[in-house]
Amino acid sequence: MRILSGVIVSSFAVLTLCACTIYDKIFDNPIDFKANEDIGIDAPTLVFYPKSQTLIQTDSILVGSFIVFKEDSTEPFSGLHLKIEFPNDLIELDTILPGQFITDTSQSTPLFTYTYDDGNSVDIYAYFLGTTKLDIDGTGHLADLVFSPLATGSDSINYDMSECTFIDHQDQEINIEGIRGAEIIIE
Amino acid sequence: MKALLYRIIFLSTLALAFDQDATYLVLNHFDKPLPDIDQTLIDNFNNSSFSFDRSVDTLFDDLDEDDNPASKYMIDIKDFGETHRVNYVLFNKIKHIGDRLIIEGMLFNTRSGGLIHRRKINVQNYDNASVNELRLWVGETKNQIQKEWEKERESIMFLNPEEISYEKTPMGAALRSLAVPGWGQAYSGNSLSAGLWAVLELSLSLAFISSYNNYDSSSKSYLQNRKLYDATDDEKEVSAYRSSAEKDWNDHVMYSKLAIALASTTITGWVSNSVHAWVFGPRPYTNIYQKGIPQSTIPKG
Repeated sequence: MRILSGVIVSSFAVLTLCACTIYDKIFDNPIDFKANEDIGIDAPTLVFYPKSQTLIQTDSILVGSFIVFKEDSTEPFSGLHLKIEFPNDLIELDTILPGQFITDTSQSTPLFTYTYDDGNSVDIYAYFLGTTKLDIDGTGHLADLVFSPLATGSDSINYDMSECTFIDHQDQEINIEGIRGAEIIIE
Repeated sequence: MKALLYRIIFLSTLALAFDQDATYLVLNHFDKPLPDIDQTLIDNFNNSSFSFDRSVDTLFDDLDEDDNPASKYMIDIKDFGETHRVNYVLFNKIKHIGDRLIIEGMLFNTRSGGLIHRRKINVQNYDNASVNELRLWVGETKNQIQKEWEKERESIMFLNPEEISYEKTPMGAALRSLAVPGWGQAYSGNSLSAGLWAVLELSLSLAFISSYNNYDSSSKSYLQNRKLYDATDDEKEVSAYRSSAEKDWNDHVMYSKLAIALASTTITGWVSNSVHAWVFGPRPYTNIYQKGIPQSTIPKG
């Protein structure tokens, strides 16, 4: 009976110790405007998803480009220019695809193009030229960039904020308040 | 040697106090009838004269509550002496509580009105010995104890109380309660207390386990929702998983605090239950009085 009592008391002690564990309250998804605000980046924000990825040299690197608005203060836009910088000694640009946010509008297909001159940056342009849908608003997926690794190491992809532009259908510029880069680790 | 000297002086004083022609008024108050007890006293102490009176009822019950019990009833005793023309008033009381026998005897001097000798016996399973104890008591006051009376007592009573090993002890009760809450109280014969402790500890334990389960499930849910939150790039899913994860995080903090508080209360209650079992554990009902050792309750006559 005393052994049973010892087992019960020990179980209590173990369970109590387990119950003492409080997990850290960490929310850091770049698509979450609250998480961006928590680290001091206001919306609208240009971000990459995922914020960090670790790959091996044979893998392809898929990075999504997103615009993140606060859910209660979105601004419709009709055109955009993104200038994305990447370490071309570590990765090389393979493919650029329009994001779902732009292409899933079945009523009109935007103009989506990019310019790349083998350097360490790429310029992406997208415009809505239709008459039935002039603009889109809210948080969304703008483009997918596929890279190929060239060497091992770690570096980051970033927006050149001074070159990135969003305009509405009346050609008025929409201010971008912040950017978040993405970390690439190649092993 | 010193004890023997005191005993000789004490008995000599008693012997001088009770001369051979002493007259006694005997007040017997027994909760169960003792047939022929009056005649037994007359037959065994034929050099004294006894008269009996059962009309005195509640006198002497509150003697212990008085600051000076030896002289509390001086006037009443003197009145008895004058009314019944006796030298002494001998009060005998026998009470049964369960299997316990309580015999109380008091001897008053009617000239002074004071209490000159007193005896209390409180024993368990001491059946059919009341008459012999009364004979011994009166014989002791008159210094006329017969050997067969002592032998009769010795045949019943345990003579070496220091060698008594108790079947149940407070420590035994405490250890049992430490093993299973309420067991020590049940072992001491206190079923109500045992039940209350067992129910209290069981309730606290169940509440703790319930809180721990809630803590555990909310922790797991938090980790799962946070994983899903990190794994999606859909704005709506991000918002939904974050809301769920935040609720789970708040829940797991609340249940953690609750579980710790309940565990502390359960353990404190468990230890208190053991201490309670020890404090109210089985102990001898009263002290064991040994013949010949004067007790503090005996007033000097």
